[in-house]
Amino acid sequence: MSNSFIASRYFGNLTILFVATGLLFFSSCKKPEDTPEEKTGKIVFHFTQYNEGAPQRYDTMKYVNAAGNHYLVSEIQYFVSDVKLHRADGGAQLLDQWEDIHYVDTDLEDTQEWKVYDPVEAGDYDKITFTFGICEEKNQSLMFLNPPERDMFWPEYLGGGYHYMKLNGKWLSSDGMVKPFNFHLGIGQIYAGGVIDPDSITGFVQNYFEVELPASSFGINAGETKEFEVRMNVENWFQHPHVYDHDVWGGDIMQKQDAMKLGCENGKEDVFSFGEWKGDN
Amino acid sequence: MAVFLMTVVVMYGLSSCHDPEEPEPYEPTPYYIDIPYGFPTELNIPEDNPMTVEGIALGRALFYDGRLNGRTHPDSLMSCYSCHRQENSFEIGAPRPHPFGVTGHSTHHAMLPMINLVWNPGHFGWNGSVSSIEEDVLGVISDPAEFDSSPEKVVNTIKNISGYPEMFQKAFGTPDVTVDRIAKAIAQFVRTLISSDTRFDRYMRGEEQLTPEELRGFVLFTTEEGADCFHCHGGYGNPLFTTNGFYNNGKDSVFTDPYDRFSVTGNEMDKGAYKATTLRNIEFTGPYMHDGRFETLDDVIEFYSHDLVNSPYIDPLMHHIADGGIQLTPQEKSDLMAFIKTLRDETFIGNPDFGPPEKLPGNNPE
Repeated sequence: MSNSFIASRYFGNLTILFVATGLLFFSSCKKPEDTPEEKTGKIVFHFTQYNEGAPQRYDTMKYVNAAGNHYLVSEIQYFVSDVKLHRADGGAQLLDQWEDIHYVDTDLEDTQEWKVYDPVEAGDYDKITFTFGICEEKNQSLMFLNPPERDMFWPEYLGGGYHYMKLNGKWLSSDGMVKPFNFHLGIGQIYAGGVIDPDSITGFVQNYFEVELPASSFGINAGETKEFEVRMNVENWFQHPHVYDHDVWGGDIMQKQDAMKLGCENGKEDVFSFGEWKGDN
Repeated sequence: MAVFLMTVVVMYGLSSCHDPEEPEPYEPTPYYIDIPYGFPTELNIPEDNPMTVEGIALGRALFYDGRLNGRTHPDSLMSCYSCHRQENSFEIGAPRPHPFGVTGHSTHHAMLPMINLVWNPGHFGWNGSVSSIEEDVLGVISDPAEFDSSPEKVVNTIKNISGYPEMFQKAFGTPDVTVDRIAKAIAQFVRTLISSDTRFDRYMRGEEQLTPEELRGFVLFTTEEGADCFHCHGGYGNPLFTTNGFYNNGKDSVFTDPYDRFSVTGNEMDKGAYKATTLRNIEFTGPYMHDGRFETLDDVIEFYSHDLVNSPYIDPLMHHIADGGIQLTPQEKSDLMAFIKTLRDETFIGNPDFGPPEKLPGNNPE
């Protein structure tokens, strides 16, 4: 290959690159007034767990529920989905870009903070709502193939999809024995004749429910990031409006629709509260 | 400005100029894993050890080469294969609950199978103390209960076997034999050991139906009022048949093993907790539990049915503990066993790609 050929090739390339660089340089020059005005802000949710007004402590038998059961909590895992920001004019923004179902796990710190991808239009909002668990349309088996969400799967025979929540712990039963409880919420089953046998299932009950976060009005400015706390008040799963007694329902409830119904009705009532995020405790 | 831009452009032009006479840098052939139906899409492959065809071939040879422990005398040979037998899902199998190494010392625990480890999130072993397959290989080399050797001895032996430097060249670009490269190559091979062709897999894919007995066992497996195996061992939603989590499953009330999960986390509630093993090919991986206390699967089912022991550290998922177990009837035990046997993967056991290579480098020692 001759030197002149190489030289001409280089200069050809240089000419093209020089022109391209110039075009890029000039095309990136815009008048300041052409920049679109930023009209959106961002939201971050922090999910926390409290019990009797203080941060939840784990694996210590220090709590007493409304039924008088002494109990401890080992771990809580749950899904929050279809979060909606309701505007004062009656419209609502669904947070569904990139992530519309968020998993929270008390053993996994990174799940307890959700930096919402969706830009939020600046303005005033009346309230925030979300679905506890996953709605029927979205709660499809094998949609989460990777852990940790994968390990929330709800067996096919019991309705499929995923647990809404696993709240695992132990209670001191009336016979003096410390027993494990798995307060697991998800799709319920209707059994013919009330006999708990998968062969006698005649239908399923979608137990997911909408939570309206109390006192969740807020305003957000363009370019602002708002950080909120979504607090689970754990004791309220067991006390209002229904007193939930572990001695009555026992250690497992995935096949006890009556127990899951009580739990879900309590969850809808006052388990969750809301506030500005003030940092870790 | 124009001069500056011209200079930048010239520098760019010169730097991107590749001499056509200069050979391209060597790149081994990338190896891609096909994700089986329902399996996790996230693989645990370290960024500094991408899988390649040549790396896997080297790892396979090392895995089966008795000189890997740095010894060449016929009586002292030991490779991964000495204990990790394909016919036992790469576990040693009964009747040796605690395998022993080249010097006769036993390991602390019974073995775990090598199966679908590319999906292990980085907590290997019964207590999760090992963070990668590479780390495990390095540990084996010096462990008195395994190779009882040294990295220097192993490297010196391998690099002097004709054929190996060439295989290292193909796998890593240079013929240098290092202990890190040995660990990386073996890890690449181990990550190919995938089981995804059990009868249950075919049932999931709609290719095969299970028998009524197997289906009854499946219901028991995945219901709380049944045997409730699925919370720790997976099922339709988790076909690995393990969460890779650690649980105290009610074997004991006193805990003296210095190598339980507590020894890793320091969390009191992890006392007596161990990895929930995969149930794939569990038929071939007895004896069972971390200490190999149960010889047969019947023994295991009997334990979960009637012989659980309560303690302050028992996992909350063991909600049948108050009854001493899940109280299965003989028929239910039979149904559950029938389902567990649908997790047998004979394709895995017989896959020639997982077996020994036709010829090892140098003069074959075995």
